[in-house]
Amino acid sequence: MRNRNATAYRFLTPYLLIFAIFWVWPIISSFLISFQATRTVPWRFAPGFNWGRLIGDPAFFNALKNTLLILVIQVPVMIALAMVMAVLLNSPLLKARGLYRFAFFAPVVVGEVAYSAVFRLMFSLDFGIVNKLLNSIGLPKVDWFSNVTPAMALIMIAVTWRWAGYNAIILLAGMQSIPDDVYEAATLDRVSKLKQFFYITLPLLKPVIVFCAVLSIIGTMQLFTEPFLITERGGPGGGTETLGLLLYRQGFRSLNFGYASAVAYTMAGLAIAITLVQLWLTREPK
Amino acid sequence: MATVTLTNVAKRFGAFEVVHGANIDIADGEFVVFVGPSGCGKSTLLRMIAGLEDISGGEIAIGGKVVNDVEPADRGIAMVFQSYALYPHMSVEQNLSFGLRMTGNPKADTERRVNRAAEILRISELMERRPKKLSGGQRQRVAIGRAIVREPQVFLFDEPLSNLDAELRVQMRVEISRLHKELGATMVYVTHDQTEAMTLADRIVVLRAGHIEQIGRPLELYDNPDNIFVAGFVGSPKMNFIKAHIVGRDAKGVVVELAGEEKARVVQPLTGVAPEPGSKVIVGVRPEHFGVAGEGDADLTVAIDVVEHLGGTSFLYARTAHGDDVVIQRDAAKVPETSNVTVSIRKSYLFDEKGMRLR
Repeated sequence: MRNRNATAYRFLTPYLLIFAIFWVWPIISSFLISFQATRTVPWRFAPGFNWGRLIGDPAFFNALKNTLLILVIQVPVMIALAMVMAVLLNSPLLKARGLYRFAFFAPVVVGEVAYSAVFRLMFSLDFGIVNKLLNSIGLPKVDWFSNVTPAMALIMIAVTWRWAGYNAIILLAGMQSIPDDVYEAATLDRVSKLKQFFYITLPLLKPVIVFCAVLSIIGTMQLFTEPFLITERGGPGGGTETLGLLLYRQGFRSLNFGYASAVAYTMAGLAIAITLVQLWLTREPK
Repeated sequence: MATVTLTNVAKRFGAFEVVHGANIDIADGEFVVFVGPSGCGKSTLLRMIAGLEDISGGEIAIGGKVVNDVEPADRGIAMVFQSYALYPHMSVEQNLSFGLRMTGNPKADTERRVNRAAEILRISELMERRPKKLSGGQRQRVAIGRAIVREPQVFLFDEPLSNLDAELRVQMRVEISRLHKELGATMVYVTHDQTEAMTLADRIVVLRAGHIEQIGRPLELYDNPDNIFVAGFVGSPKMNFIKAHIVGRDAKGVVVELAGEEKARVVQPLTGVAPEPGSKVIVGVRPEHFGVAGEGDADLTVAIDVVEHLGGTSFLYARTAHGDDVVIQRDAAKVPETSNVTVSIRKSYLFDEKGMRLR
């Protein structure tokens, strides 16, 4: 038996080596780097340097506030929207279901740069289709890129557009795993479709909803592409800067790897903490 | 309680007809079992009575009122599903009371109905448990309980025991029988298991490929099948079918000679028109209707392949000289030691080439 295990490990060695070098070591290394002052050469061990700065850094708190704001507003809205899409996709009345499923899923496979460029065009002040539509119904133009609130809204709209369909497909798979006869039993029990949704579908989908929420929380905590490409590096004036962007700015623009590592660990810690709270709140009663 | 009447009920999926004009009258308080092989349309028929499946043609009446366009919940029926269809996130108590709670039934009445169902099914001590913490039999009881709390006019059962093991199936069969006596309700029960049908039913409806083959009391079907399908489907082990041809007619009836057995002739009393001599027919013999040599009409020698000992009785799996497989029932003490045995046909049934009974 020991021999057989050894053979298995020998087969796994190439993978484990790569995993150790490119995954485990950077994780450990960045943790160690977060305790070093990296703006001096050579780097020196200074535990309070980065972590101390974090507590008092307005840029960090601005990025944290923006990230949490997007998380609190965008994730619930997106999951609610994904749920509505999943219900519609699951409807027996729907024709060409496969086409809709593909259409809802398509945004995920669109290149990030391409979709960001299209969003910039769509929301452009003077010739964007969105402002033209607003004008056509008598509403004033919105300067999506120069004001903080519209810029934040734009980020949320873009992320929601990109990921709602993806979550809808996951929720749809969950819905389709609920047996039809449970609904038939409820129909015979004179339970309306609306009540069936709230008292049967939603509770039975809870694990899938939690899964979507956890994925979305982790994704939003790392949000980078949209504020980088759509609102041009967290603009206007850092109004849409997220933790991911702050990390990038510190690490790869200022080459301050110690502080960037501390930010990275804070992001990971927050994602874990929020996820744990969520899992605890939605745990199954014994 | 109520009667259920099906008049020319048909079901089509596109151009494909799965139930062809079924006519069934179910009396008030009667226990009727729809039985047949997979795909015969029995579950579709039940689901049409429930309103879960649209009716493509004909008329269904419950309690004298046509319900073709009546919502399932308004038909006065309750259904027990094969998969139990319990709400997995609710306790037994919540499962039982869910429908009543959702429709705003008074709390006291809901409690009374739930407690009564729990007492009838002896599940009072399980009320706080969730379905996943229950055994198969307990789940089935909860599913039946959920039907009882609705206080329906008609109970519908869709293969309710097929997910249970053999021992539990027998136990639940007895429970359902007891329940029928206790509630006195009209019950329609679907199964592919002829033993369940025979033991539970007041009347059995045998279905095949969307057609009703025969309706009758269990022993009527057993003793007097209309065709070779019913004869083969009802009874276990199934009836043996031996190829034969008509030889002629005598005072007692038509004389039939078994294929490959020149001396083995059975005489069938026949009131209808007898087929011409030489016509091919099929002789049906139930396993228990084979006697020892000389005891009945015809003796034939068979080669024994396998003997199954079940304790009091044994089954001999054998082959006739012509190559027809037969199963012979014998008392365990009378099982022959030899590989060939001569048996006699004490009672037989005659079918024409198309499988219709010749009477």
